[in-house]
Amino acid sequence: MKIVKQFFDTRRPKFAAGGKYARYYPFFEAIESIFFGPAEVTAAGPQVRDSLDVKRFMTLVIVALLPHLFFGIYNAGYQSHLASGLSLAPLAVVVRGLWIVMPLVLVTYAVGFFWEVVFAVVRKHEISEGLFVSCMLFPLTLPPTTPLWQAALGISFGIVIGKEIFGGTGRNFLNPALTGRAFLYFAYPAQSSGDAVWTVLVGTPAADAVSGATPLAIAAATSVGRVEDALAQAGFDASRLFWGLYPDSIGASSTFLCLLGAVFLMVIGIASYRIILGGVIGVLASGLLLNFLAGEGSQAFLHLNPVFHLLVGGSAFGIAYMATDPVSAPDMNSARWVYGFLIGALTVLIRVFNPAFPEGIMLAILFMNVFAPLLDHLAVRTRIRRRLPNV
Amino acid sequence: MISITLKKGYSLKIAGAPSAAVSVLPPPARVAAVPSHLPFVKPRLTVKVGDAVALGTVLFEDKRNPDVKFLSPGGGQVAAIHFGARRLIREIVIDLAPDEAHIAFETLSAAELKTVQRARLVALLLTGGLWPLLRALPFRDMPRPDALPPAVFVQVGSTEPFQPHPAVYLQENEARFRFGLAVLDRLAEGRVFVAAAAADAEVLKTLGDLVTHTYAGNYPAHDPGVLLYRTRTEPAANRSWYIDAQDLLLIAELLQTGRYPTARTVVLAGSQAESRQHFKTRLGVPMADLAAGRTRPGDTRFVSGGILTGHATTADGYLGLLEKALHLLPEGHEKGAFLGFVRPGFKRPSYSRAFLSAVNPADLTMDCNRNGGLRACIACNYCPAVCPVEILPQLTYKSILVEEVEEYLAHGLLDCVECGLCSYVCPSKIELLETLKSAKASYYRDQG
Repeated sequence: MKIVKQFFDTRRPKFAAGGKYARYYPFFEAIESIFFGPAEVTAAGPQVRDSLDVKRFMTLVIVALLPHLFFGIYNAGYQSHLASGLSLAPLAVVVRGLWIVMPLVLVTYAVGFFWEVVFAVVRKHEISEGLFVSCMLFPLTLPPTTPLWQAALGISFGIVIGKEIFGGTGRNFLNPALTGRAFLYFAYPAQSSGDAVWTVLVGTPAADAVSGATPLAIAAATSVGRVEDALAQAGFDASRLFWGLYPDSIGASSTFLCLLGAVFLMVIGIASYRIILGGVIGVLASGLLLNFLAGEGSQAFLHLNPVFHLLVGGSAFGIAYMATDPVSAPDMNSARWVYGFLIGALTVLIRVFNPAFPEGIMLAILFMNVFAPLLDHLAVRTRIRRRLPNV
Repeated sequence: MISITLKKGYSLKIAGAPSAAVSVLPPPARVAAVPSHLPFVKPRLTVKVGDAVALGTVLFEDKRNPDVKFLSPGGGQVAAIHFGARRLIREIVIDLAPDEAHIAFETLSAAELKTVQRARLVALLLTGGLWPLLRALPFRDMPRPDALPPAVFVQVGSTEPFQPHPAVYLQENEARFRFGLAVLDRLAEGRVFVAAAAADAEVLKTLGDLVTHTYAGNYPAHDPGVLLYRTRTEPAANRSWYIDAQDLLLIAELLQTGRYPTARTVVLAGSQAESRQHFKTRLGVPMADLAAGRTRPGDTRFVSGGILTGHATTADGYLGLLEKALHLLPEGHEKGAFLGFVRPGFKRPSYSRAFLSAVNPADLTMDCNRNGGLRACIACNYCPAVCPVEILPQLTYKSILVEEVEEYLAHGLLDCVECGLCSYVCPSKIELLETLKSAKASYYRDQG
């Protein structure tokens, strides 16, 4: 600890005002503040300040996401070995998983951090920790087979276009991680969707041993019979979907972990329970409404038990971690209920009525991101109208 | 009686509370008037260094209204006048003479008070130098002498950490307090409210049926601005006045004795203070007299007034006319703990539930470290959750930055009670209070 402190203390003069690398102070500050909190004291009242800062705020989201990363590593390795007919011993599976997932995570962080430093140096502000959450979320939404250059391109788009050109964390209106994901989804559909991208194959296994389709794709493709039966036939019963050990994007498959993370974030007050509950209610309500409206000849998807909508296609992941991004969500509590509800409802509607792109949750969140300011505007007007004027 | 419970707001879990014990502080060798701690006042000096002054001699007047006088809190000689940046008058220091001369002011008996003209009463307070103890909402400047207030609130006690306990200064002063209320009754023509803490049985018993409002709940439930926000029914009430109960005793003493009053009960508090308790002393007492020998080792910040609303000052400063407490807090300009942002934080005080301290009921030591770097607003929604008058501080702040005057007024900027909670809770460390307060002040100045 002392050594670390010394390391920074000896280098600080070079980065301080007038030093050789004064321009790169944000870089120095970002690295140093990972180890030690800043020494600044209050210059204006109130004299004391809360212990919570943005760094801890964002770190806690990362803490909630770590189980997803660990499970994603195991799951990616497990699915790869299962499909390739290799050993399913835990150690072998984890090593394979690390080999698949870690490059994506590291590339994402390196590229994302690079962009953030560039903008922080040019704009002369400190690095905002929202970046570290975006760079954790982004790889978890990718298929395990995503090429590294696409991960780099996607996070670049997400950070630069989704966030930095609007002024950086706090001033963006779209969720940066999702913006990057959506970019890859539409720019490189062959590597981002379909049946072949969800499992990393090692060697050349027997092709028919692999059923590559995700539950969402199976549900969308079912034309006769019940979707639940089609899912069960492919091995996706409700409990497997809940625990998440099946081929899917790296970190989004386990509804159980999403539930755990969402409860954790709601208990410590970092994620808005209004958005999460609104989202869950929105999915269930619109699912039930479709059940109710569906007739004999309607497509099978309309008859699906609404709970399945929460189990497949990353909707739990999106509602727990993406919709709750406070910056791209509305400020007002009343608007947050509506926002969450509409995300849930739109997710189901997009999945059921948009066969070309059944990725409902991603599009629903981005769509509602755009509408968040409008919801806020209406909520603020209503609130101001109730005030007794004081002018 | 109207009971008000503040569910919003927030009471800091901060260590360093003073005990109810009272000691008499040895008489100070010098006292001072502190113009720089009086909001909006533009002082014009009427004395110079070396002048002999009596208790009650005019030291300076307000350029905005020369009828408003500020008097010497002691008799002796003007020892020094300290200036700050841009010739700001910080302090006028008086060396006290052993036998203090004093100026005799007119007195009023209880009977005279019933018949006195309101204008004459106002004139007595102006010449007696105690008019500035009255404060007018929403800007918290002293009221204009020619204005008639919609109401006057007398604030008994405070929920801010840490202020003198009213039981201490009201003891044996009930008659004087009643006389003070009678004065206000004449000034406000009957609309006088007295607000005391619902939990303070001792004070409620002492004051009995004088109390019209009781407050309970979080800081700043005591604030007249909060009480007004919760009780007002028409916009005209927004210009109500208020006065602290201890200040009201000074007004009563001036009119009863004809002598500029100096008695002050102050508290010494904060985790850097060795003996935290009440002291009976006088107006304008040097900080050093309070703190010397009672300060723990280590870098210490001197805060006069309240921890959330007070001024940072220095050990060689003096308590101002409106200040009743001195807090000694650890400065905290060391770097934060190693990897502090991932530690459980059982002892890190926070409004949020993001530290284990959420389950720690103990009062925690707080220093003056900002606890984080400056960031853009991330819409965490903590500030609207604590705002006692239901402003949306983050949105008001943004409309102030883009100078949307109509919008920030509509948001209720003028209802802001300047409690400082929005700045306190902000994880992005945005100076919300400072921004709102200065927008409010410049709106007031523009009004003229």
